[in-house]
Amino acid sequence: MGNQKLYKGSLQTIILKLLESNDKMYGYEITQHVKELTKGELQITEGALYPALHKLEADGLLDVEVAKVGNRLRKYYKLTENGTKETANKLAEMQEFLKTMQHLVNPKFSLE
Amino acid sequence: MELTQNQINQLYKFTRQHYVYHYDVQTELVDHLANDIEEICTETPSLSFEEARDKSFKKFGIFGFMDVIEAKQKQMNKRYRKILWRFFKEWFTLPKVLLTFGFTILLFFILKIPFSEYVILTALFGIVVFDMFQIYKQRKQQKQKQQKQEKIFLLEAMIGETRQGFTGLAFINIFNFINLTNVSFSSLDNSWLLVVSFSAVLIIILFYVTAYLMPNKAEELLEETYPEYKLVKSL
Repeated sequence: MGNQKLYKGSLQTIILKLLESNDKMYGYEITQHVKELTKGELQITEGALYPALHKLEADGLLDVEVAKVGNRLRKYYKLTENGTKETANKLAEMQEFLKTMQHLVNPKFSLE
Repeated sequence: MELTQNQINQLYKFTRQHYVYHYDVQTELVDHLANDIEEICTETPSLSFEEARDKSFKKFGIFGFMDVIEAKQKQMNKRYRKILWRFFKEWFTLPKVLLTFGFTILLFFILKIPFSEYVILTALFGIVVFDMFQIYKQRKQQKQKQQKQEKIFLLEAMIGETRQGFTGLAFINIFNFINLTNVSFSSLDNSWLLVVSFSAVLIIILFYVTAYLMPNKAEELLEETYPEYKLVKSL
């Protein structure tokens, strides 16, 4: 498991990206999905995930849907129209960030 | 292994014990814990339900559900302000804007009467007493709800609380201010009087929206905010 702090600032982008490719997801599903995709490298903690989801919802990027599953209620999140636009922006920002980090960390490979 | 209804109910109780009082926030946490417990029990079947639950709860960190509650509260504050603004704005569109300005002008002429302070003080006193009575009635209802352990949604609680805070703070303060400073409104400039009347009308609209309009429309607002509201009430 790598340094979780490094991932912290990217949590919202990760959530948005996941929702972009999965239509609708619930909280627990997101944590499991990330764990699976990163082979356990990144583990989103519960204490960070829900506040991030609520913040995105407050900003109007996410919409919620509730369904009864078995004997309990489940809250699904999905992107709003604004959310889809914002996802594209955030992903572009992320690419920029990765490129910059690459330059900083590995200067010899940056002979562009 | 799927959790039983009884275990789900226990999880609701568990969240309440950890300071999550509102049903909407509880529900999301209960589903999360339930999924995690099911997973933990599949991995290590020897663990009891309670042990698995505690193990799952630990993952939330030392502050437990606090971060989640805080984020939810912030989100709901934003939503509350948006709704309030929506109703408030209505008073500045036709036809209600005529009433708004009508009241302002009426108040302006009342303030021009010598010794109008006493008229205002009496009116304020009347409002405070009347509203205290309303609050008392509402508190009683709320207590009954709590005793019956009805599901209370966060926004529902906020609509109630804001209403209770308003009279206490705003009107009593204004009452004291007028009483202590002994301003004589009728001797003020016309332009100042207009400012005073208009601000007073703004406060009254704000009071009316938070204390009467929103609680009266609470049901509608909750349905609009919570997709699960109807589902839950029909359970």
